[in-house]
Amino acid sequence: MSQLSAAVGFGLITASILSIAAVGFTLQFSVTNILNLAYGDIMTACAFAAYLVNRLGVNIWISLVVAALFGAVFSMLLNRFVYFQFVRRGTRLFGMIIVTIAMSLVIQNVLLAIFRPTFFSYHTSPGASYHFGGMIFTASQLGIMGIAVVAMLGVHLISTRTKLGKAMRATATNPGLARSCGIATDQVIDVAWLLSGALCGVAGVVLVLNTATFSEVTGATFLVPVIAAAILGGIGQPYGAMLGALTIGVAGEVAATVISPSYKDVVAFGILILVLLVRPQGILSEVASAKEVAA
Amino acid sequence: MSDSMQFYISTLLIYLFIDIMGVLGLNLQFGVAGIINFAYIVFVAVGAYTCAVLSLGPDYAGNFQHYAFGASWPFPLPILAAGVVSGLLSLIVGVISLRRLRSDYQAMVMLVLSLIATLVATNATGLVNGPAGLATVPQPLADVLNLAPLEYQWVYAGWCAFLTAVIFLFVRGITNSPLGRTLRAMRDNDRAASALGKSVTNLRLMIFVVGGVIAGISGAVFVEFIQAWSPGSWLYPETFVFLAAIIVGGAANNWGVMVGTLLVPVGFLEATRFLPQVFYDGFIEAMQWVCVGLLILLFLWFRPQGLFPERPSRFQPRPQAQPAARPPE
Repeated sequence: MSQLSAAVGFGLITASILSIAAVGFTLQFSVTNILNLAYGDIMTACAFAAYLVNRLGVNIWISLVVAALFGAVFSMLLNRFVYFQFVRRGTRLFGMIIVTIAMSLVIQNVLLAIFRPTFFSYHTSPGASYHFGGMIFTASQLGIMGIAVVAMLGVHLISTRTKLGKAMRATATNPGLARSCGIATDQVIDVAWLLSGALCGVAGVVLVLNTATFSEVTGATFLVPVIAAAILGGIGQPYGAMLGALTIGVAGEVAATVISPSYKDVVAFGILILVLLVRPQGILSEVASAKEVAA
Repeated sequence: MSDSMQFYISTLLIYLFIDIMGVLGLNLQFGVAGIINFAYIVFVAVGAYTCAVLSLGPDYAGNFQHYAFGASWPFPLPILAAGVVSGLLSLIVGVISLRRLRSDYQAMVMLVLSLIATLVATNATGLVNGPAGLATVPQPLADVLNLAPLEYQWVYAGWCAFLTAVIFLFVRGITNSPLGRTLRAMRDNDRAASALGKSVTNLRLMIFVVGGVIAGISGAVFVEFIQAWSPGSWLYPETFVFLAAIIVGGAANNWGVMVGTLLVPVGFLEATRFLPQVFYDGFIEAMQWVCVGLLILLFLWFRPQGLFPERPSRFQPRPQAQPAARPPE
């Protein structure tokens, strides 16, 4: 029993990291219709940015902010100067997926070439441990969960309470109509990529904080559960992504305890397949079905 | 020509033929039928594993490697079995993913599948010997032919050339037939194709299985040559090398993708394997992958139709109709 509740505790941490990453990933898709498969590698790049700052003696939580800023600017520039240019030339959905994967190969291997194939870790200590029921969290893990809650609340408030959020949702649903209503969709898209890039950066750093070491493939490997969470929730749905992250995070860790740790991701994928068979459009799916992205 | 040079050239030729087989199968799926299969390398891998365990002989207690379904079938049965098993797996994956899912979901499910397959093969140590993989796969007919290693190389190159020719003729048969026309119609506009009474789902599934069989055979022929196979040999970026070959060569053009194969996987990745190491071990390899990525981006930007574009259909287009040729994706 205590083992199980400890597993749920681990699951909550994984879910926190997943939700930050999955919301950012799904936001990029909902606003620009791009499945950015380089997302995991941008996470890694942000983790390296935090690593460089951290090595100069800066506190890891400040490095995290730096990484978020780096992720925001990098993602925005990537969209404006690469992805958007391809979209404007008429590259369709299929082509765009290949473009993002090519980008992923480039980013990952440039990182490999710069930092060499070894493992890295931050200068930080996990802090004291706290017990809640059968769950054990270190101070930094509590910090990760706190960041996730703040990030989710932030995304929720921005998308429901601000004009910008309204504009983003309008652009996501029907860009043409949004433009003719006087919404500057180009700027909205830039802001959406800034926002999702920041989430991507935060996710990259907290992922490394939790796993302690990282290399150039860390983010790319983590992209599997991120995609699973995003699809599970209905791609393009921030709330769905949160729900999906919670499901995949907790189910994965519980399965790791009950079956075998090496099958964490396999179980996540099993859930994904099951959901796709029963409900191919994901758990929450109004936008996804309205958009008719199938080419 | 010195012996080592002959070895190098015959090895490159064998790689070229095997890669062409793989690329032809993926081109059928991606170029002709418009199915994005980011898990293509998994079907190559499954073929390779099938062929390996069926020619390694039954597993025994003191063996240095452990695997399931061991048998020592005579040549060429393991290769045929590899095609069958890959085809069956394609059928299962296809039924799950192609039937109901939207194309973008399909693409992602395939990518995830590729990663998960690697995880399973690595962690299920009793299945195909886990991360270490299988080694000492016997070369087919090596004891019957009883040739010197160099002569065997050339015989094997000939065997690969023969298989490649068979697969090429088969694939060309499909693309030039009415079936090929239907597939291209489906790729270009699946709604119009289904409005004309074509069962888009069944056609997709069929071509997915055919591509899977070809992938399995190419994997089998490959593993019988290099005699070893491990999860590290089929990581998901390998599929993108094939895709890069198709994009560079020209999607849906069988001759074009063969040239693409000569340029990307062989000319670019294999032939440069013996460049001197600079800076540190692995630097060249990292830069190769950067170049593969950039090559895809540059081609999609400047010449999305590839070096040898798909040839327009031979019918006279009606005056008011759209021209038949369109750039492939």
